[in-house]
Amino acid sequence: MTAAGTPAAADGLRRWLERERVFKWVPFVPVQGLFALLLLPNFLLLVYLSLLSWRITRGAWWSSAFTGLDAFQRALEDTRFLWALGRTFAFAAAAVPLELLLGFGLALLCRRSFHGRRFYTSVFLLPMMIVPAVVGYDLSMLLIDQGPFNQLLSLLTGRTITVRWLSEYTPAQLAVIGADVWQWTALAFLVFTSGLAGLPEEPIRAARVMGASRWQIFWHVELPLLKPVIAIAVILRSMEALKIFDYPMLLTQAGPGNATETVAVYLWRVGWEFARVSDAAAMSLILLVAVALYSLVAIRILRRERQRLAEEGAA
Amino acid sequence: MRRRGRWLFPVVRHALLLAWTAVTLFPIYWMLMTSFKHAGEWVTWPPRWFPHEPTLVNYVKVLTPGTSTFELGRQTLKILKPIGDSLIVSGVGALLAVVLGSALAYSWARFGTGGRSYPYNILSIRMVPPIVIAVPFVVYFVTLRLLDTYTGLILVYVATCLPYVIWMMLAFVEEVPVELERAARLMGASRFRVLRSVVLPLTASGLVVTFLFVFILNWSELLLAMTLTNTEVSTIPIQLNKFQSANEGRDYGPQAAIGTIATLPVIVLGFVIQKHLLRGFSFGLLRK
Repeated sequence: MTAAGTPAAADGLRRWLERERVFKWVPFVPVQGLFALLLLPNFLLLVYLSLLSWRITRGAWWSSAFTGLDAFQRALEDTRFLWALGRTFAFAAAAVPLELLLGFGLALLCRRSFHGRRFYTSVFLLPMMIVPAVVGYDLSMLLIDQGPFNQLLSLLTGRTITVRWLSEYTPAQLAVIGADVWQWTALAFLVFTSGLAGLPEEPIRAARVMGASRWQIFWHVELPLLKPVIAIAVILRSMEALKIFDYPMLLTQAGPGNATETVAVYLWRVGWEFARVSDAAAMSLILLVAVALYSLVAIRILRRERQRLAEEGAA
Repeated sequence: MRRRGRWLFPVVRHALLLAWTAVTLFPIYWMLMTSFKHAGEWVTWPPRWFPHEPTLVNYVKVLTPGTSTFELGRQTLKILKPIGDSLIVSGVGALLAVVLGSALAYSWARFGTGGRSYPYNILSIRMVPPIVIAVPFVVYFVTLRLLDTYTGLILVYVATCLPYVIWMMLAFVEEVPVELERAARLMGASRFRVLRSVVLPLTASGLVVTFLFVFILNWSELLLAMTLTNTEVSTIPIQLNKFQSANEGRDYGPQAAIGTIATLPVIVLGFVIQKHLLRGFSFGLLRK
């Protein structure tokens, strides 16, 4: 056949690869290899480092002595770490619901076709295509004391407003939350727009025939059908919001003081600016445990919803 | 009531949508305008909404060859090399991730290799905050001499992109009719032939979309890039951050030019894949 002209060895190899038993494992070898060589040692190293009290400046890590759980104890007594952790959750708790509500509202407004819909949809998706670091930089330029944002606020309110957005405690925190909302409402909008477009028509039509009002249809028919989509949006945004790093770095340099220092920024500083690698490792593990609990729940929900969708599709 | 509602709703709708349009466009507009302003117009009161004499000086400045430096508090921003580095790292990383991930997605979709939970286990990698893996990666990479190299950063990007690739490609592969593949097999085609002549053409657009999607993810990434590079390799987000933290003599214009340069290709790519953008995020939970 096609392999007639090739040497016997290549032919044999080809036939060996053709067997289902072998063929299906071919892509698994490099992927699992990558994980085994990259992520697994990485994790083991994380655990190992957290059991030392090693700093970059103190010799080689492999000759550093174990100090048991000292690094964990230091982490849990480090109020700056605990504050950063709490602050991160607080930022997420403020930004995510706002993004979801705004995104859902905009998606509802753009639901049926009307003049200008394509324009709005394209514009609303823009923010999520911008590099987050650029968003941070861009807003830092808008929000300077004598910047266009204060000017706009002054015009809209008719008073002279000079909020020092980046150098006062609460305004700086609002700025970071605002950056997240500005950028990621786009994603919520996208998720909900597709969710609304994918709603099956029969149950809605049936409800209308039975005389349900628009509001009843929305509340009792459409919203339950949107459950998987809402799950995506909530899980996705909350997971990402806990990783906030770029905005505080570029917008406020985590300041003033530590007002906008998220856990990612603080860990970065502990690891690199302060060179306390073991402490950073211990804090990372604590963070990992917190996130792992959350993501286990998230993945369970995803699995359940996916299964339900598959069953619905089969029925 | 009914009659009045009929014209009221469209007006309210447009008002609300226009308001959010303004919110969305304002920062983008400002960056674009600043990138065309002379130094004297970067910070003024009242702020200037149009550059009086539009100039390309900022673009010329950042696009001349050389390396960025600080000299006596003055900065010179050069981004030709970071653009190149960003392209290499994001491009190669995305390409490798797509090749590996799509093959894996196919194998799982057809043979269930690795068990039913496999894609979910992979997904949990994506949920780990990058800062957690960043700490040990530095130590690991110093030991392997991979710190501040293209290879190191690319490997990390491949690993972090794989979950997205696998989940996106699962959706595309599941759309390929199994019957078609069976028919080809019955007619004597080898498995590789089926891949090349049946599966590849049917998933080609999916592969392109997935590639662009993870390319954008890598292009935007700051934390890992910042951690795993130093002087040899440097991406655009790192450059922006480096000059942002220097409070002396901020160069708003050149920075705006960099921001615009970093943004434009992504917006173009983003619109190319707009329809499929959600696939990467949907975990296969989307009704068709």
